[in-house]
Amino acid sequence: MLGASNAVRVPMGDSADVALAAGGDRQAFERLYRTHANRVYSLCTRMSGSRVKGEELTQDVFVRTWEKLPQFRGESAFSTWLHRLAVNVVLNTRKTEGKQASRTDESDVGDERWDVAGHAPMHIERMDLSEAISKLPAGARRVFVLHDVEGFKHEEIAELCGITSGGSKAQLHRARLLLREALER
Amino acid sequence: MTNSNMTCEAFDAALPDYLEGTLDESMRASVEAHLRECVRCAGLVRDLENIQKEAAALPDLVPSRDLWEGIEARIVAPVIPLAARPEREKRYVPAWMGIAAAALVVSTAGITYTLTSRSLAGRQAQSIALGTTGQTQQPLDTGAPQQSPDAATTEPVNGGSENLPGVRGSSAQRGGVQANLVSQPQNGPASSDAVYGKEIEMLQRIVSQRKTQLDSSTVAIIEKNLKIIDAAIAQSRAALANDPASMLLSGQLTRALDKKVELLRTAALLPSNT
Repeated sequence: MLGASNAVRVPMGDSADVALAAGGDRQAFERLYRTHANRVYSLCTRMSGSRVKGEELTQDVFVRTWEKLPQFRGESAFSTWLHRLAVNVVLNTRKTEGKQASRTDESDVGDERWDVAGHAPMHIERMDLSEAISKLPAGARRVFVLHDVEGFKHEEIAELCGITSGGSKAQLHRARLLLREALER
Repeated sequence: MTNSNMTCEAFDAALPDYLEGTLDESMRASVEAHLRECVRCAGLVRDLENIQKEAAALPDLVPSRDLWEGIEARIVAPVIPLAARPEREKRYVPAWMGIAAAALVVSTAGITYTLTSRSLAGRQAQSIALGTTGQTQQPLDTGAPQQSPDAATTEPVNGGSENLPGVRGSSAQRGGVQANLVSQPQNGPASSDAVYGKEIEMLQRIVSQRKTQLDSSTVAIIEKNLKIIDAAIAQSRAALANDPASMLLSGQLTRALDKKVELLRTAALLPSNT
């Protein structure tokens, strides 16, 4: 199960720093940042498709984490809570971005590149998987990153992204086919 | 097409569920039978499963710079919240009071309309009659107090410049006919003044009752504006006392009275707690 990969990555021993940071200890919070920064940055970069945007979003995520930390009840692992918060920050940022971004997302839906037998899109050239992911249409990219990279379930993705579980499955399959085409070239 | 019952198109349709592991037993058997015979579909499944595995094993990315500095700068200087606004006491106002206020405003507006329409019609009728005969007419008996003909023709009633809206002096009124109109106090400025006075009085009663339902700052603004309008009315009346025939001053007074009625109506219909 892909979700199991999360468990392997979860750093242990956060609880003391979480408690201190929740009480306003910035040094403890910096330690939490150092522990989780790369993972959060990876999530933000892959979901946004841009390293620059990923850095901005990572900062937003940790500022938001600092604000929300007093509300963390420890019902789940801190890393799980943090990554869910990160996903929400990324998705909310997307929602508040300009019309151009939303138009791009809308245009994803009926993309002809969906066809298995069809040719790979011309703008996708030979590249490694990370680069290929960044070139995916936004909707397909988000679902692929959340499911295949981060290990979220379709039901969770549906709730986070405001789509149906079936829509999440369809976007995931579409993303995998597009990646295959891109990587074959 | 292969020797198995499943076509490649059917396989493609079943592929997402196959990869998710959500196919039922018999369908899964058909797919696997197809995969054993079809190179194209077997290659597709292999590639997609590899992508899944590679994606799950992707290494973490590393930011090009240390982002902590920017984060720390933002959390060290938190946004200072605005001074908390004192909780406004919740005042519950019965719905009937709002409805009653609205009904009163409508009724006063209706009264104004009716009276001013009659007044206007009466003035126009007399204006036509006087204009054609050129004779001085006796005031119509409307039950209103009548002045002596001498006084009426030479001196307007006090406040007589408070003409009705829409009767702000045609060229005919500025001529000889106007002199005759001035002699009709029951339908002229005096009655319009009475109409305004009656409506303003009713609206003021509503507004004073509603003061407790409105925000104190709103009440202060309303009172301030009423004072300004009252001052304008007083000035117009004083000026008209010196120049009773001035249509300009008459119009100004009418507009000031209109403003007062409008403001009072607005205040009477304001939602509670505003």
